[in-house]
Amino acid sequence: MAVKPVPDPRPEEPEPMFGPDIELIRALAAVLDEANLSEIEIGEGESRIRIARQATVAAAPAPAPRPAAVEPVPAEEAPPAPVADDASHPGAVISPLVGVVYVASEPGGRPFVTVGDEISEGDTLFIVEAMKTMNPVRAPSGGRVTRILAENGARVEYGEVLLILE
Amino acid sequence: MFDKVLIANRGEIAVRIIRACREFGIKTVAVHSTADAEAMHARLADESVCIGPPAPRESYLNIPAIIAAGEITNANAIHPGYGFLSESADFATIVEEHGFIFIGPSPTHISLMGDKIRAKQTAAELGLPVVPGSADALEDAASIAEAADEIGYPVLIKAVAGGGGRGMKRVDSREELAMAAATARAEAEAAFGNDALYLEKLVAAPRHIEVQVLADQFGSAVHLGERDCSLQRRHQKVLEEAPSPALDAEAREEIGSRVSAAVRELGYRGVGTLEFLYEDGNFYFMEMNTRIQVEHPVTEMITGIDLVQEQIRVAAGEPLAFGQDDIRFEGHSIECRITAEDPDTFRPSPGTVSGYHTPGGPGVRVDSALYDGYRIPPYYDSLISKVIAQASSRDACLMRLRRALEEYVIQGVSTTIPLHLRLLASQAFAESAYDIHWFERFVTETGAGNDA
Repeated sequence: MAVKPVPDPRPEEPEPMFGPDIELIRALAAVLDEANLSEIEIGEGESRIRIARQATVAAAPAPAPRPAAVEPVPAEEAPPAPVADDASHPGAVISPLVGVVYVASEPGGRPFVTVGDEISEGDTLFIVEAMKTMNPVRAPSGGRVTRILAENGARVEYGEVLLILE
Repeated sequence: MFDKVLIANRGEIAVRIIRACREFGIKTVAVHSTADAEAMHARLADESVCIGPPAPRESYLNIPAIIAAGEITNANAIHPGYGFLSESADFATIVEEHGFIFIGPSPTHISLMGDKIRAKQTAAELGLPVVPGSADALEDAASIAEAADEIGYPVLIKAVAGGGGRGMKRVDSREELAMAAATARAEAEAAFGNDALYLEKLVAAPRHIEVQVLADQFGSAVHLGERDCSLQRRHQKVLEEAPSPALDAEAREEIGSRVSAAVRELGYRGVGTLEFLYEDGNFYFMEMNTRIQVEHPVTEMITGIDLVQEQIRVAAGEPLAFGQDDIRFEGHSIECRITAEDPDTFRPSPGTVSGYHTPGGPGVRVDSALYDGYRIPPYYDSLISKVIAQASSRDACLMRLRRALEEYVIQGVSTTIPLHLRLLASQAFAESAYDIHWFERFVTETGAGNDA
């Protein structure tokens, strides 16, 4: 009865990025976690599946412009959007959880680290407060602090870059 | 009323809740995983907070992360949506302990209804009809056999901690009982870490009819009629309608008033749904869902009442603004759940939506978080859209729904729209001649190859 005003909603070609094999993707994701890798890519015939961690999310191409109707008013205290370069930096230290970040162990105290410091693996860099508990953010490796992005008392999201080590 | 509500969910229900809040002038906070950074709920909310990696247990089920997100955004209340943490009494308790309002019932009622045996006992005590069955968990083969004899075959063995059909076995005679019980026990242990079993009389070919209730914190409770959700595949609802073609006004009022009286006596607050099996004019209580449900729009369409807004009002401490006599049921409404799955094989089909056009026109509503260019992630539920039609009669509603589905374009992924069109064209559906098992047979009989 109704005449379709639009093309066939189901084209034949599959979406290349996402193989439909969820089980395989889950299994690969588990391997990724287990081996602490940042990326796995496997190919079989024509299909390829690539699983990468978090960093690629922020590094993905900028989103298409939002429709005007859904443009949210930016919240005044919204944290700065992570810059793609920082997120993909090999020495990026990210926030492991949502909360409020502190650069020192007490208000007005000496910061744990300052730019130029040589630090060792396991050194405390920040504290993130969540649900009234203080969670230390430790250095994943040794190195020199080249940039500090976290501001004392700022809200941080999961995965937000706090500091760059080189 | 609240200033700011955090929505601890994703997808279409998060968008639905954001819409309800916006119309109240309430600011919204979306939480999202890294996989959902570009999801509609995160875009649409006033603020969004990334709470973890894609895996649900590290993001949408991560209670500390969600509480922290509420704290850093100064939200007053948390709406759990459906699924995820919506029926976790622990979550509701922690939310309240941290000074937020939980938009839902008390943790006590959530945990009471979350325990299938206690829920059924409570329903019976409140005067609701229940399926004859064992009152308690059955420890050994002898007590199972004794209970089965008393109930009468066929019986259904069920897991106390059960759900989704696992640990469930039909037994037609005493000879089959021991074997079936042992299998069910092993399945229950494997699936839920709890091997406790109970027995019920098997209701062979019922319809699934559920009653929507709404109660405030001051002892008022109303029912908003029923929904017929008999069309299911693997215990998942596929299409829901209100009112049920199987009930007349008298039966509706009878079950509705019994349910609202029970909910009042329970001291329940917020929205809730009592699910029943319905066979030969008898209702049998199955369970109560203590949250907003996927299929709530069909009730909204025939009553004109916004259930999500009422849920928020009740949580904010307002009394119900209407009584039972103010509620009118007008016309008929049907909802189709559209999933990103192959319509014949049900193979999941995540991917990028490369073209998108939603149906519109009179009496059509689409609840969805899709947009052109959206990448449907593979980590979550495959429900991507709900198409809801409303019209003056069931026949007119069917035609309208069919028209709407024919207008709907979702390119780039497979969807179950073709399956719904096939269903709407079937004689049995048009005549409402089906029970809860009919749809599985329909899928098998009319599936791949038969309609090419």
